[in-house]
Amino acid sequence: MSGLSPLTTALDSKGKQAAALVVFVGLLCLLAAPYAPWLVAWPSVLTVPMSEWISQGLGAFFDLIKPAMRWVSWVLGFGMAAANWLLVSTPWVVVIGMTTAVGWYLGGLKMAALGFFGLLFVLASGYWVESMNTLALVFVSVPLALLLGTAIGILAYEVARVKKAVEAVLDLMQTIPTFAYLTPLLLLFGFGPVVGLIASAIYAAPPMARNVLLGLERVESEIKEAAVMSGGTRAQQLFLVELPSAMTQIMVGVNQSLMAALSMVIIAAVIGGFNDIGWEVLLTMRKAQFGQSFLAGLVIVVFAIVIDRMSGALAQERRRYSTRVVWWIIVASLVAAVVLRDILPDAGTLSYFGGVADAVDQSVGDFTRVYGTTLDTVKNTAMFYVLLPLRIGLDDAVLPFTWGFQWTAAMSAWVYAIGVTLAAVLAWQGRLTLGLCLLLLIGVIETGVTQLPWIFVLVGVGALGWVSSGWRLSVLCVGLLGLILISGLWDRALLSLYLSGAAVFTCAVLGGALGLWAAVSRTAWAVIHPVCDMLQTIPLFVFLIPMLMFFQIGEFSAFLAIIAYAIVPMIRYTRHGLVTTPEDMIEAATSSGATNWQIMREVRAPYAAPTILLGLNQTILYAFAMLVIAALIGTTGLGQSIYIALGRADVGLGITAGAAMAILALVADRLVQGFAEERRKALGL
Amino acid sequence: MTGTGGPDAPAIAVDGLWQVFGDGARPALSELLKPGAATTDGVARRLKEQGLIPAVQDASFTVKEGELFVIMGLSGSGKSTLIRCMSRLVEPTSGSVLMAGEDILAASKRRMIELRRDKLGMVFQHFGLFPHMSVVDNVAFPIKMKGVGLKERRARAMEVIELVGLGGREDAYPRELSGGQRQRVGIARSLAVNPDVWFLDEPFSALDPLIRRQLQDEFLNIQATLRKSIVFITHDIGEALKLADRIAIMRDGVIVQIGTPSEIVLNPVDDYVREFSRDIPKGRHMTLEALMEPVDVAPDRGGPELRTAMTLDDALSACALTFEPMAVRDGEGRVVGLLHPEALARAVGEAQST
Ligand SMILES: Nc1ncnc2c1ncn2[C@@H]1O[C@H](COP(=O)(O)OP(=O)(O)OP(=O)(O)O)[C@@H](O)[C@H]1O
Ligand SMILES: [Mg+2]
Repeated sequence: MSGLSPLTTALDSKGKQAAALVVFVGLLCLLAAPYAPWLVAWPSVLTVPMSEWISQGLGAFFDLIKPAMRWVSWVLGFGMAAANWLLVSTPWVVVIGMTTAVGWYLGGLKMAALGFFGLLFVLASGYWVESMNTLALVFVSVPLALLLGTAIGILAYEVARVKKAVEAVLDLMQTIPTFAYLTPLLLLFGFGPVVGLIASAIYAAPPMARNVLLGLERVESEIKEAAVMSGGTRAQQLFLVELPSAMTQIMVGVNQSLMAALSMVIIAAVIGGFNDIGWEVLLTMRKAQFGQSFLAGLVIVVFAIVIDRMSGALAQERRRYSTRVVWWIIVASLVAAVVLRDILPDAGTLSYFGGVADAVDQSVGDFTRVYGTTLDTVKNTAMFYVLLPLRIGLDDAVLPFTWGFQWTAAMSAWVYAIGVTLAAVLAWQGRLTLGLCLLLLIGVIETGVTQLPWIFVLVGVGALGWVSSGWRLSVLCVGLLGLILISGLWDRALLSLYLSGAAVFTCAVLGGALGLWAAVSRTAWAVIHPVCDMLQTIPLFVFLIPMLMFFQIGEFSAFLAIIAYAIVPMIRYTRHGLVTTPEDMIEAATSSGATNWQIMREVRAPYAAPTILLGLNQTILYAFAMLVIAALIGTTGLGQSIYIALGRADVGLGITAGAAMAILALVADRLVQGFAEERRKALGL
Repeated sequence: MTGTGGPDAPAIAVDGLWQVFGDGARPALSELLKPGAATTDGVARRLKEQGLIPAVQDASFTVKEGELFVIMGLSGSGKSTLIRCMSRLVEPTSGSVLMAGEDILAASKRRMIELRRDKLGMVFQHFGLFPHMSVVDNVAFPIKMKGVGLKERRARAMEVIELVGLGGREDAYPRELSGGQRQRVGIARSLAVNPDVWFLDEPFSALDPLIRRQLQDEFLNIQATLRKSIVFITHDIGEALKLADRIAIMRDGVIVQIGTPSEIVLNPVDDYVREFSRDIPKGRHMTLEALMEPVDVAPDRGGPELRTAMTLDDALSACALTFEPMAVRDGEGRVVGLLHPEALARAVGEAQST
């Protein structure tokens, strides 16, 4: 007992205890690893064949409901064909005219111009028919998603008992990777565009449901009571008063739903069988025709922007523009279509940008020829000195071929010795937790994320959960990760963890810095803001194209694509947190004689911490979402498993790998939320 | 308690009403209210110990046909909760509410909807207007609920819109109106179905003083023609005294006194009520009945006729009439004017009350 007491006095906080425990377990693993290989690799005898079980179970179930589903598929296929026929056979002049008219109505000249030139670009690119096919999918899936989402939102609002459950399901649906939706649907509905249609309807419903619920909850209670006192029945209250009063929020839902549907429709192109614009990107990407895929990608971006800005205008309480002009535009386009029907070229035959595509190919080719070595150096430096060591550890990554020398056991010993010394110095300065964390970091880099003993990972995550919010979270996280462990997907999960971890870390540093810069400089924000807007509008898929152009297939391209997509929330939230510090706090600091920089460090940063943590949380979720898409250009984690499962229509693997991915996202989400909550409490917010 | 109803049932009769917030409030309260149990205070204390909030405690009172009954109290004293119980926007935990003899707490959902469509009107503190409807649609909404056709309900809505002085603004949307105009819409909407019972929850509190006074006067005018049974909530004693036939004063969920304005001003039951009326000019609310020396015969000296119901201010002006006007001189002693003592009395009375 007496021997323990100095230890307990040294470890006087949750953080120190947790860190010490993890270091202790790490040390044990390090010593025991040579004698107990099962510490690193989960023994295959203990693996539970969950994938097979799920495949069999679901297979039987699917056989049962297949006839009904095929019928649904037939009906939906019919609707889609109708929408398709309508869009493709309507003269393009009229389609452009209608879009311009809608744009005018929603946002005046600016929006009308956006619609007009946007669609003109699509027409000139030669992808008109493909685009209309994509649009047809969106037009059928979005109403379904809106109906479904509204119904779910109303249900959660009306029946208090199911609200918690519905919210949990919505949370979960957001963490399940997009591809994972496809495999079971593929099995149910067979190959074809209907799968994409249904997947996007399911995928786009949650944002709608969320916003409907939020909007209804936010309607002023006096408005609701006024409806009651007017003698409305419950249905009248809901449909005549509460839903219309919540319309602004609901329109935000429509906007998000549209964007989600578009994104999913494009992703669903990997199933193939439908001549849409996503398929075009994929096809040209596979053929390494980067110019063409760049062009097709641009078409998608243009669509995304037009749809986003127009539906975004719906969510703004602004006066609408004159309907007279709207009718004039429509009539004019109809007249033009009739009068000029012999002169106007057929949409499918147009292609003014073929030259551009070639030119892009040409110049990218030239560029890579000239700067190829530079690009390779960039890529190899990042791979050899950062990604590879992180993945397999210094002892395996440092080879004559990569670093110019061979890593030896003695070097490991030296690294550890330096680490221990540093930690001791830090501990002596009273920063024990930092010292212990440094030791852990060194241990992880020495070993490599993918070769970490599973016990170490579980204990580490459990400790994090305990520090961030308590026992319950700790148990939840370990339990969920344990599921991945026994399912036999552990190796893949660690691969995913390593790549997304590296990307998230980069995003945090880079995005944090950009956010800080944007917070202090107006000009910087003026530049960064539109770029962020743009990046958030672009469907996931399109991020791959430029990366492929310059860095070819491989982990580094995936890494860059993830960063490009996931950095946005980090920038936004960091800036937002820093600029929204209450004015009186800053004034108090200024009158105490603090410099700008001191205010930033002592007042703004601590106050912004919870917001920044939420940004980090979003960044993590974004990174996981992109990770799965990036499987298309060659990553080797769970994303690849999901992709493979899709190709083989292996529903068991698809679901387990998808669930594993969702678990990783969920665990990360809860941990960060826990820390954010703790910071908020500490600040008394 | 004032229990003097006419031969007919009173418009509203509230008896032993409790509203307790919190989980498990109902069983906890019924346990504590068993016969022979503690006093109201005791019960409330026990409820609070259990973590429950007794927002209204054992409220009992009646509102007569055509009476303007004001409930007054500080913020958080349970006024809104009480009026919401009476309109059944929240379900009371215990007690009864009768309207024209009908127990509305026992009424079915259907019956409640009927009552609200025909008999009840309510005005809210923050107006509660429907943001997506124009003024006329807002006002016509309760009539629409009754299933009345478009033309007819528009006509009726226009009538009330004229009544509240908003004619010409019927096609505006709530966001385009000022606070005072919005509350006029709220009032018009609550009157659209011509209800028998009219609830107003701090209808003028969100408005600035000038508009408030103007609306109070208009409200009194409307009431003078419509003669509805009204429950009016306010936290402003001046407003209460100006409008009320009778006032109920609430503190921490308990009704501590019910009485006419002059009873409240002259005979406050405790310091809480006294504190309210401290700054109130007595001359305006006190009547001669409270001041006079009770006798049977008095010498007749001519002069003005005084009545028990006269306020002190009015009596003073009346008495001043018996004096002759007096000369007023300037600095050098020259006569420059004439003062009527009655004008002096009136001016002093007014100076006190503002
Ligand atoms: N739904 C509720 N749940 C829990 N407590 C409530 C609820 N509604 C009201 N209360 C509590 O009941 C008490 C009385 O509130 P109420 O709104 O009736 O006060 P009020 O007299 O109308 O005040 P104000 O003048 O501010 O409107 C308050 O302590 C309040 O916190
Ligand atoms: Mg109130």
